[in-house]
Amino acid sequence: MTELLQYVANGLVSGGIYAIVAVGFITIYNVSKVINLAQGEFLMLGGMVTVALIGMNLPYGLAALLAILAVTAIGIIMQKYVIDYVKKASPISLIILTIGISTLIRGIASFIWGKDAFALEPITSNEPLSFGGVTIATQSVWILAAVLIILFLLWYLMEKTILGKKINACSVNPMAARLMGISPTKMSMLAFAISGATGAVAGIVIAPLSVTSYDIGVLLGIKGFSAAILGGLGNPLGAAVAAFLLGIVESLGAGYVSSGMKDAIAFLVLIGMLLVKPSGLFGERSVGKGGL
Amino acid sequence: MKQLLQKWGKGFGIYVALMIVFPFVMPDEYYRSVGIIIGLHAIVTIGLCLVMGLAGQISLGQAAFWGIGAYTSAVLTTKYGLSPFVGLIASAIVPGLFAFILGRAIAGLQGYYLAMATLAFGYIVQIGITEWEPVTGGASGMISIPQVPFFGGSELSMYYLIWAVVTCVLLFSLNLLHSRVGRAFRAIHKSEIAATSMGIDVSKFKLNAFVVSGMFAGISGGLYAHYMGILDPQPFGLHESIKFLTMVVIGGMTSIWGALIGTVLIGFISEGLILLSEVIPGLQGDVDTIVFGGILVLIVMFMPEGLVPRIRSVYEKAQAKKAKEAAVKAQSGERVERKAAT
Repeated sequence: MTELLQYVANGLVSGGIYAIVAVGFITIYNVSKVINLAQGEFLMLGGMVTVALIGMNLPYGLAALLAILAVTAIGIIMQKYVIDYVKKASPISLIILTIGISTLIRGIASFIWGKDAFALEPITSNEPLSFGGVTIATQSVWILAAVLIILFLLWYLMEKTILGKKINACSVNPMAARLMGISPTKMSMLAFAISGATGAVAGIVIAPLSVTSYDIGVLLGIKGFSAAILGGLGNPLGAAVAAFLLGIVESLGAGYVSSGMKDAIAFLVLIGMLLVKPSGLFGERSVGKGGL
Repeated sequence: MKQLLQKWGKGFGIYVALMIVFPFVMPDEYYRSVGIIIGLHAIVTIGLCLVMGLAGQISLGQAAFWGIGAYTSAVLTTKYGLSPFVGLIASAIVPGLFAFILGRAIAGLQGYYLAMATLAFGYIVQIGITEWEPVTGGASGMISIPQVPFFGGSELSMYYLIWAVVTCVLLFSLNLLHSRVGRAFRAIHKSEIAATSMGIDVSKFKLNAFVVSGMFAGISGGLYAHYMGILDPQPFGLHESIKFLTMVVIGGMTSIWGALIGTVLIGFISEGLILLSEVIPGLQGDVDTIVFGGILVLIVMFMPEGLVPRIRSVYEKAQAKKAKEAAVKAQSGERVERKAAT
C-alpha cells in the first residue's frame, strides 16, 4: 500500500510538470492554431539559463527571474519574427517549422553549455519529507505549489479578466475579434509569452529534482503534448487532469512493470488513445474554425 | 518506362554518370564510405518523400523503420545463421508489416495528431530495441554481423550495390509519380475532398504510401546493418528522423529528385561540419542540429516548396522569357524585312 502511494506521489509530481507543458501548448493553440513543438525547449532553457546565471554568481532568485524573462522574450521573438511570418502555412509546414525551431534551440544550447548535465540547488532544504511511509523531496512540494499557482493564475486570467476575454475572442473568431478592435497578432504574442514564462518556471522547479541538460526538453515536450491530446486539445482543464493521470500511469508502470519502459508506457497510452478516441478524454472544445 | 526515360533522359543520364564516377574521383576509402551512407539515407528519404510530398502526410518516426529493418536482418543472420539475402528480404517485409499495422491504426489522423503518433512510435521502437536485451543486445548492441557477399564485399562493391538499390528505388518512385497512382497522390495532396469525389480511395493510397516508405527504410536499414557490421540503438532515434525530414524538406517535398539531391546536400554538409569541428577546437555539442534546425526554419519561411521545385520554376520562367524574346525579335525582324521590301 505504501508502495502504491509512493508511486502515486511520484506520478503527481511529474504529472504536474506535464500539466504546465500541456497548458502551454493549449494556450498557444487556442489563439493561433499553432502547435508549438518547441514548448519543451522553454523548460530546458528555463533550467539551463538559471544554472548559467547562478554560475555567474547571481543570487538564486534573481537568476530565476532573469531566466523567466529571457525565455518569455524568446517566446515573443519566436512569434513575432517566425510564426507570424508564415501565417498562411499548412499544418505540415507549421509542424516542420516548430520542429526546426526546437532543433535549433537544442543545438544552440548544446553548443553553449555542452552536453553535460547540470544540477540546480533545491529551493529550500534537501531533506525529504515523510508522510506515513511515503517520502517525497521538499522540492516536490515546491513543484506542486508552482503548478497549482500557475494553473490557477491561468484560469483566472482566461475566465475572469478582460484580457482573457480578448484571448478567447481571438480563438473563437479572429475576424470578429479584429472588428472589435482586438489584434489577434498581439494576443498570439501574449500566448507565446505566457507559454514561455510558465515553461521556464516549470523548467526551474524541476531542475533540482532531476538534473537539467540540453536535451531534457524533447521528452518533456512530447509528454506534455501527449497530455494535451489525451485531455482533448483545446481544453486546458481536461489537459491538466490528463497530465496528472499520465504522470501517475507512467510512475505505476515504471514501478510495477519495468523502469526502462517508463517512457514507452506514456507513448503507448497516447497511441492507444489516438486509436480509440482521438478527440481525447474530455473532447476537444472545438473553438472557431481553422483547427486541425 | 520509355516515356519516363525520354522525359528524364538528361537528368537521369547525369545522375548515373555521377554515381558511377564518384568512387574514382574520390578514391579515398573514407569518401567511399560517405557515399555509401548517403546512398543508404537516400533510400529512406525517397520513401519519406512519397509519404510527405505525394500523400501529404508527415512521419517523424522514419528512423524507427530504419532501425527495425537493421535489427531484423542483423538478428536473423547472426542469431539464426541465415544468409544476408534472406535477412535483407525480411528487413523489407517486417518494417512493411509494422508500417501496415501503424498505418491502419492511424489512418484517420491528420496533421499534429499524425506527427505525434509517428513520433511516439519512433520512441517506442527505440526503447523497445534497447530493452529487448536477449534478442537485440540492448544498449550495448550487436557485433560481427556478416557482410553481404556481393563481389567480395569490398567498400567499392558495397558502394555499387547500395547505389544500384537507390537507382531501383528512384526509378520505381519516378514511375509511380507518372502513373495513375501518382496522379491520384497529387490529387490527394492538393485536396482530399476533391480526390475522394473523383473516386480515389484516399485512405488506401495513403496507407500504401506509408507501407512502401516503411519497406524502403527497412531495406536501407538491413543494408546499413550488414555494411557497418555492428549495431546499437542510438542512431535510430529522433535525431535521425529529423535529419531525414530535413533532407526531404530542403530538396522539396513534392519532388523525388529533390529528396535525392537534399540527401546528398545534407550528407556533404554533415561531412563539412565534421571537418570544421576538427579545424576549430572550441566547437562542442551538436553543431549539426543547429544547421538542420536552421535549414528547416529558413526553408519553411522563405522557400516552402524546396530547392528543386524552385530551381525548376526559375529555369522554366527563364526558358519562357527566352522564347518570348526570340519571338519578339523574329517579329521585329520580319517587320524590318517588309519595310525594306516596300
